[in-house]
Amino acid sequence: MKHATIAVICLLGTTLATGQDDMAKAGKASEAYRAHRELITKPSFGLAKVEALIKKYKLRDKEEGPLPAAEYKKLSSKEKFSYHMIYGEVSSQNCDAMPTFVDEEKHIYAYPPGAFQDERGWSDAQMAEIKRNRNAFLPLLQQTILKGKIGCNLKQAILELEAFELIPTMCEVYKRKRYDHDILSVMMILMKEGKFKPFLESASYKKLYADEESSYQSFLVANKENQDLIMSRATAFYASKRK
Amino acid sequence: MISWVTVPAGSYQVGATELIDNPRRNVAVRAFEISKYEVTNQQFYAFVQATGYVTDAEHSRNGRVFEPGLKEFRWISDKTANWHFPNGHSRGGIQGKMNHPVTRISFRDAEAFCRWAGVRLPTLDEWEVAARGGTDGRYFCDPSELRQYANIWGGRDHLKPDKSDPFLTTAPVGTFRPNPIGLYDMYGNVFEFCSGRLRSDTRDTQRHSRGGSWWCSKNSCCFFNSVDVGTVNIHASFSNQGFRVARDIKKPAE
Repeated sequence: MKHATIAVICLLGTTLATGQDDMAKAGKASEAYRAHRELITKPSFGLAKVEALIKKYKLRDKEEGPLPAAEYKKLSSKEKFSYHMIYGEVSSQNCDAMPTFVDEEKHIYAYPPGAFQDERGWSDAQMAEIKRNRNAFLPLLQQTILKGKIGCNLKQAILELEAFELIPTMCEVYKRKRYDHDILSVMMILMKEGKFKPFLESASYKKLYADEESSYQSFLVANKENQDLIMSRATAFYASKRK
Repeated sequence: MISWVTVPAGSYQVGATELIDNPRRNVAVRAFEISKYEVTNQQFYAFVQATGYVTDAEHSRNGRVFEPGLKEFRWISDKTANWHFPNGHSRGGIQGKMNHPVTRISFRDAEAFCRWAGVRLPTLDEWEVAARGGTDGRYFCDPSELRQYANIWGGRDHLKPDKSDPFLTTAPVGTFRPNPIGLYDMYGNVFEFCSGRLRSDTRDTQRHSRGGSWWCSKNSCCFFNSVDVGTVNIHASFSNQGFRVARDIKKPAE
């Protein structure tokens, strides 16, 4: 009996150790994915100049604050784009920061992270400026995206601009690695905001956005079927908007 | 005058299996006392009267405020917002609301209050042990009964006022039912600052708060639970951000 008990304890110990290893491994993959989700993409247009201005006025050392108006006015359209994409002028709300989940990399969440992960966000003036410059900023967004990564700042810019025009580009970038599932989330939000009927009638829409229990933490499993279905629907949405 | 609830020393279960920054584990906690209620406008007023303290929001005049009609997670600028007028002058002040939790104060402001009052903020672990009140899991109550325990947002979104309870924003502390150890508003009303860091923290300016707030609905920011941890800039202040305090229990002289 004594031996049997020891054997059971040993087996339990092995199981527990294996479980912890699996958890640690899963944790690392999820942490790496979360880190990837929270990266911003820095546009290349006048980047050094814009960063130097932000540094000169010590904007990041302050809780909030815009570039002096006179300096902003002197920037070219491309430099203004870079300024907005790398710097949020105000502090953002705390509950915007979602916790990191185990298996996060296997999920397509209802919403991507906010534009910046340094507890900052775009000011009202920045939002207005981004929208006012839609025509000028769209090609700059596209050029930046095509370099291979759509950071959380660019994703939020796409949403602010309701930039359905970028759906083909987003599909192209996503298909390269099929890793950044937030790209799919952006396409779904565009369909939602665009009231695209085939999406509004789908089970995905119900689960992520319309169900009694759906929340900012709701997700779909990131299997190939779901990935392809979202891209297919988004492509149809794009086509409907181009008519 | 602060009312206290004692939490005995012990090993407590905290965290959740799905959360990397707050994994399920046991933590050893020394005995401590935690305030029964969130710190009120009245208590903060006494601190300001005694010290002449000026809050971060009063210095920086860069408030982001709430009003119904805004999209999810959207706040608008209002330079007049401070702890006297948490959502700006035009949306009313704290007159007649001295028993509501103080808001529009930053982590730095909360620490200043604590220094003056001879208390401290609860640690992240202490807050969770107190919130759980001896229960296990995400909630200390049946989730279907949350509205009895927590001042939270009842609407699907924030495009129109939530009329499912009488409180558009904060409620007087202690209005809702207490948790199993007699602590009020552990969920909802205001996010509560905690001391301590998460392992994913990368910046010195990051601080944390817990418990969700009047703004939180089950469809947006469902942080009104025992396990989620929010992040905020050390100087940032919001009309849904407040705190409660804790203190060590002095050992009796031998």
